[in-house]
Amino acid sequence: MQRRGFLKTTAVGALAAAGGLAAPRLSLAADAKVLRFVPQANLANLDPIWTTLYVVRNASVLFFDTLYGVDSNLVPKPQMCEGSEVSADGLTWTFKLRTGLKFHDNEPVRSADCIASLERWMVRDNMGQMIKVRLDTMEAVDDRSFRLRLKQPFPKLLYALGKCGTPCAFIMPERIAKTDPFKQIGDYIGSGPYTFRKDEWVPGASAVFEKFPGYQPRDEKSDWLSGGKRVNFDRVEWKIIPDAATASAALQSGEVDWWESPIPDVVPLLKKNANLLVDIADPLGNIGDLRMNHLYPPFNDQRVRLAALIATNQSDYMQAIVGGDTNLYQESASFFTPGTPLYSDYGGDNLKRHDIEAARKLVADAGHKGSKVVMVIGTDVPIVKAQGDVTADMLSKIGLNVDYVATDWGTVGARRASREPIDKGGWNVFHTWHAGVDCVNPGAQPAFYTTGDKAWFGWPKSDEVQGKIDSWFVAPDQNAEKTAVREINKASMDFVTFVPTGFFKGYQSWRKNIAGVVKAPFPVIWDVTKS
Amino acid sequence: MLAYAARRILATIPVMLVVAFFVFSLLYLAPGDPAAIIAGDQATPADVERIRASLGLDRPFLVRFFEWLWQIMHGDLGTSIFTNLPVSHMIAQRVEPTLSLMVLTITFSIIFAIPLGVLAAWKHGSWIDRGVMVLAVFGFSVPVFVVGYLLAYIFALQLDWLPVQGFVSISQGLWPFLRNMILPTVALGLVYVALLARITRATMLEVLSQDYVRTAKAKGVGQRAVLFVHALKNAAVPIVTVLGIGVALLIGGAVITESVFAIPGLGRLTVDAILRRDYPVIQGVVLLFSFVYVLVNLAVDLLYTLFDPRIRY
Repeated sequence: MQRRGFLKTTAVGALAAAGGLAAPRLSLAADAKVLRFVPQANLANLDPIWTTLYVVRNASVLFFDTLYGVDSNLVPKPQMCEGSEVSADGLTWTFKLRTGLKFHDNEPVRSADCIASLERWMVRDNMGQMIKVRLDTMEAVDDRSFRLRLKQPFPKLLYALGKCGTPCAFIMPERIAKTDPFKQIGDYIGSGPYTFRKDEWVPGASAVFEKFPGYQPRDEKSDWLSGGKRVNFDRVEWKIIPDAATASAALQSGEVDWWESPIPDVVPLLKKNANLLVDIADPLGNIGDLRMNHLYPPFNDQRVRLAALIATNQSDYMQAIVGGDTNLYQESASFFTPGTPLYSDYGGDNLKRHDIEAARKLVADAGHKGSKVVMVIGTDVPIVKAQGDVTADMLSKIGLNVDYVATDWGTVGARRASREPIDKGGWNVFHTWHAGVDCVNPGAQPAFYTTGDKAWFGWPKSDEVQGKIDSWFVAPDQNAEKTAVREINKASMDFVTFVPTGFFKGYQSWRKNIAGVVKAPFPVIWDVTKS
Repeated sequence: MLAYAARRILATIPVMLVVAFFVFSLLYLAPGDPAAIIAGDQATPADVERIRASLGLDRPFLVRFFEWLWQIMHGDLGTSIFTNLPVSHMIAQRVEPTLSLMVLTITFSIIFAIPLGVLAAWKHGSWIDRGVMVLAVFGFSVPVFVVGYLLAYIFALQLDWLPVQGFVSISQGLWPFLRNMILPTVALGLVYVALLARITRATMLEVLSQDYVRTAKAKGVGQRAVLFVHALKNAAVPIVTVLGIGVALLIGGAVITESVFAIPGLGRLTVDAILRRDYPVIQGVVLLFSFVYVLVNLAVDLLYTLFDPRIRY
């Protein structure tokens, strides 16, 4: 064989082989049945009880289901349940499951599965723990019905079972739900509209959910976690793209269909693209948190905490987080989520003052002028870093000596748990933020609690604030709840449990051939279509 | 030579032990807490404590180290704290993209860098030489991620020739595989091309001034034969050495390239594991990288004998 002939033959052969080896291209119709979605973060595990990470909740709503589910008005509606009955004294709740509910292993959903799942959830969820202390017994009536007997009424039971704040009360098969709540499950069998393809899961890169043919949606229209979850995709592929510029380019080029959380920097670019739509992702947004350590000086002194509150200018924080886009933030002198039924800014006047001079005087009068403040800031999380920079400036202006410890979020997570004084590795200030869905009432947000040693990081202790929070749990109706929340806001502002640094939202972006995207605290895939 | 290779492979065992001890110690000393990350922001301090205990992170350093060492000696790299998957499984999932990226980058670099280096040495002082050196300076000076973004902008977004991101296994077709690898390979390879081209040029310049090259030319040996048979073979030892050292450079570059092009490789696995303090995964990946590096250096040492018959082991 001649050399040129050989080269030609091999080149043609290689091309043919390449073509032959190539995977068949998806037809357009088939492509419309696949949704490629870029989630907010890496999906590193799938146990929504073991961890409270929102990304895990977002994946879990695809393949787990809940007994009740809140709608966009935060009203719990039956989901897996046909309905429930409560006795006149409010102590006995009986739940009945819908017919035909199946897990992904085709086993029927039974009362025993629900009881085991709720028992596991109650250990880890704040509202679940409130139920647990009131719980007398939880027993199966039959395979489709079970009963909770309480020692004292808990009017928020249905809300707790249907809330979308983490951890949600997801139902798992009994054998899985028996897992220690502090250990991770290994089987991901739910009864939701999608199954999780564990064999295709590459943590840090991709996760695949496949339509579960055995799922029976409710008849009602879907609304957040409630109603009929009718799904239009055979596959939902989560693509983990950690780099924002790459995710932006992938969305623009059509390699992905929907990006859950574009960073503000790239939003103008996405808005300019004729093939893309951009809108608010979660109407309940987030609330920034300047968290102080109540155990040690200077923030064990209420006057210094009050000084920080008075000096805070929420606009500074919000602009540092989301830039100048006023659609994305608002000042809110409240610990609660603006625009929700119980919202109140009663008692929040001090947070509207922005009075540096008055704050500086308070610090000096309290004898803390020049006191050292160790601020641990996870600079790898932009929202935390932005808040930290504003706080460092603000605390310096009111006469405190800021030691800005720039580190990563993993280190902050460990260090904030330390109750030691600052010279032994403790801390005075850290920043975080809370999802608005967890701040619609005081039930689901541990950062509100002021139970001292048992409280969230910073360990605030105030019997007055905690008493008002407890009063919300037994409020019989919405008017009583509103009154309780007003009082909680005022007491918490006076005590300065923490400083809310403002209310902010984020965008989501998707391609124009995707229809049915709604604003919600989690990506709602049901009723979304692709043309 | 076989005995030498066997001795060198056996010598990797104490090296790996030292690496293992250092990696374990560094992670133990480093601040951070996977339990806090797992628990999430909603968790109480008590929840974090219980998770830490359930993961066994509250046990003494030496107990944990020897348990892990015992596992390693039984071929078990442990289980990821976060994913609950075996570390060996997670590494296996990620080997193909990283290996593909490294092999393609080395191939790309050799194909372009060595001829460029030879050409620059041959045309020493000409515009060709200066052009190659400008290219080399550019390759060294521009960070991998900038090159990556530029390539993606031009060839994916503007021209729509290649995908922005992702990885397709070679088992799904050669062209889909190559289509996804072209931009990452060029982005990562540029610095490597610069390095190899410069070292090739410098070494060739030295060799081309040797007496035996002048003799070969005087005997009427053709220019191509002088360059590629007589000179390049003798210049190969330093080039191969740089190739070996460059593997470490590649490992570092792969971390960035995989992030920019969303390639699910070992680099991204390492970064994710470090940020989350997923100790078993970090330890597993670092051990693997160390082992690969030791093997590459062994291969380089053995290659010396091919290029220089005077070297004997």
